[in-house]
Amino acid sequence: MIQKKVCMVGFFATGKTCLVRRFVHSKFSEKYLSTVGVKIDRKEVAVDGQPVNLLLWDLEGRDGEQDLQLSYLRGASGVIYVVDGTRRETCTRLKELRHAVRAAVGDTPAVVALNKADLTDQWALTGADTDALAAFPWHVFTTSAKTGDGVEAAFLWLAENMVKAT
Amino acid sequence: MTGPAEPPESADAPRQLAELREILVGGERRAIEELRGRLDALGLTPEEVAEQLPDAIALGASRDDRLARALTPTLERAIGESVERNPDRIAQAIYPSLGPAVRKAIAEALAGLVAGINHAIEHSLSWQGLKWRVESWRTGVPFPQVVMTHALVYRVEQVYLIHAETGLLLAHVAAPDLAAPDADLISGMLTAIRDFVSDSFDAGREGGLREFAVGELTVMVEPGPRALLAAVVRGQAPPALLGRLQATLETVHFRFAAPFARFGGDAAPFEAAKPLLAECLETRLETDRPRQRSLAPRIAWALVLVLVVVLVVLAVRSHRRWRRAVDALRAQPGLVVLRADRGVFRGWRIEGLRDPLAAEPAAVLAGLGVDTAGLRGSWKPYVSADPPVVLARVRRAVVVPPDLQLTLAGDTVTATGSADLAWLAEASRRAAGVAGVARLDLSRVAPRFPAALQPLADSVDAALVLFAPGSAALSPEAAATVRAAAARLRRLQAAVAPAWAIAVALVGRTDTTGSHETNRSLSEERARAVARVLAGLGVAPAALAPSGAGAEAPLPAAAGLDLAGTNRSVALAVRVRPAVPEGGRAP
Repeated sequence: MIQKKVCMVGFFATGKTCLVRRFVHSKFSEKYLSTVGVKIDRKEVAVDGQPVNLLLWDLEGRDGEQDLQLSYLRGASGVIYVVDGTRRETCTRLKELRHAVRAAVGDTPAVVALNKADLTDQWALTGADTDALAAFPWHVFTTSAKTGDGVEAAFLWLAENMVKAT
Repeated sequence: MTGPAEPPESADAPRQLAELREILVGGERRAIEELRGRLDALGLTPEEVAEQLPDAIALGASRDDRLARALTPTLERAIGESVERNPDRIAQAIYPSLGPAVRKAIAEALAGLVAGINHAIEHSLSWQGLKWRVESWRTGVPFPQVVMTHALVYRVEQVYLIHAETGLLLAHVAAPDLAAPDADLISGMLTAIRDFVSDSFDAGREGGLREFAVGELTVMVEPGPRALLAAVVRGQAPPALLGRLQATLETVHFRFAAPFARFGGDAAPFEAAKPLLAECLETRLETDRPRQRSLAPRIAWALVLVLVVVLVVLAVRSHRRWRRAVDALRAQPGLVVLRADRGVFRGWRIEGLRDPLAAEPAAVLAGLGVDTAGLRGSWKPYVSADPPVVLARVRRAVVVPPDLQLTLAGDTVTATGSADLAWLAEASRRAAGVAGVARLDLSRVAPRFPAALQPLADSVDAALVLFAPGSAALSPEAAATVRAAAARLRRLQAAVAPAWAIAVALVGRTDTTGSHETNRSLSEERARAVARVLAGLGVAPAALAPSGAGAEAPLPAAAGLDLAGTNRSVALAVRVRPAVPEGGRAP
């Protein structure tokens, strides 16, 4: 079985943990995030009928790249950036985060999850914000941890592109 | 024209040639013919041999072992050469069968071991065995597993082969009875934690977390450039295990160099590493522990043994001393030991009866060298009939002078020695009330003047009545001496009356001139002369005992006199004795 290490990064309270909780196999409690700074879960997807095991390294992020523990990024085949759609700065400062991550893992397939899509009334992102994202080679998904919209698609896209890259 | 070498007849030429040929090569030709004939009979070309060979080998192998024996050296050489030239090929060829074989062997060995223990314990009624049985029954855990848990020295339960860079799991083996955990997640988390520790304590990547303990488990991590090996060990992992992990990891790096180089997340090539990892799974039970023990426990046991021996010796000695002490107390007059107990911690307890006059028990024990600090004695007073105690009682009641000997026979105490008249007057009365004594026999006690009269008696004894040679007549000086003595004797007589009387021994002597008979009668005469004068001066005649010693038993020379002059004399010696009762002889 093919396995891939995937890192999930994002600012504090963007819903990273929520995003995966319903869709992955968890063994460790969320306590790890605040103690060790990382929690690892497993997500199985099928690419061309072949099972692919994604090992999701959920990296704790409070203030972006400053407290990102770079050693956890090493060896990642893919990255999931999580943006809180109700907090605009989590999107606008994504470039800083991308810079730090690329410095550590190089160019790998990456997706951006614009999360909390269910909270439409609080949605803070403008068309300009999302257009700005399109300038970078990553795939943007609008996701909702609550409804599950876009989550599977994001994982699948990433898995396919990681398998292709090898 | 023809030459001389020409054959004579052309018709003979072929025949002659044939003859010649026959002579020169006939033998060889016939041999060749024969060989050809044989070869034709065999009828085999290389193609035909190739055709026949498999059948021939099969036939040969089915008949006996000659073929195998013949081929063995060649095959060995061929395999050796192949291994030297390209080891991978052979390794690859035998890998699929080697792994399962090893695993099977280990599993069988383990099963056999546990079954052996099971059997041993099943047939033993040891307390431990029963306890484990009960535990197995109570918890529902199979018995061998309970044994395993208790007798376990260590057990390598899981081995992870983890990709160093990504933390992805490459291969994982676990003990057969363990439930498969989320090995891939654990592998990732272990990598993350190692990173976390390295970052936190600024250790290099190679020098990161190598070992940590979680309850009964120890996780040993052996890092390598491409992968790391993590072993989960239950119990006390031996240091040798780390060496084994290192060797395994090196082998993995060597054998899987190519899969490592092109690793992109596919762990399938590392499936072949599982047998190698399985070799690290190992169980060591208490029963497997090597017999030889280190020196330290042996010394400790020896010390314990010595200590026990010393304690036993001390206990025996202490017991003997105790017995001796109790025997000594029993032998002591006036002491009756009713009960003697020995506590565990040196506390001694003795109960009994003690006459107030008996020896102090603590002093008796101290005299034997017994430490009486831990001794608790409880003595009830009583009156003893032991002769020494009775005599001591008599001595105390009667205030016996030290030079007087007392002996007890039945209930009669007999005194021997001398005592003054005052004591003699009181003794019988005082002895009357003493327990265990019916009568005090004083008949063997020589009476003595009371201390107040003794100087007077001494002055009488010092007087010497001197005589002229050959005469028994008193000179005026001698008469004066006798008068002075008479006055003293009268005073003594008056002082001791009426219960006592005085007795005066008058011993006459002579010098050495003259015959024995003459001297004897002269000395008696002198003594009687003095006695007569004393009687005339008021000394009771019954008290006077004159005798003559002649020249025998002479006195030593007195001051101012020669030996002859000293012995021409009568010496006086006054004693006291019981008065003759009235109505006896004349006073």
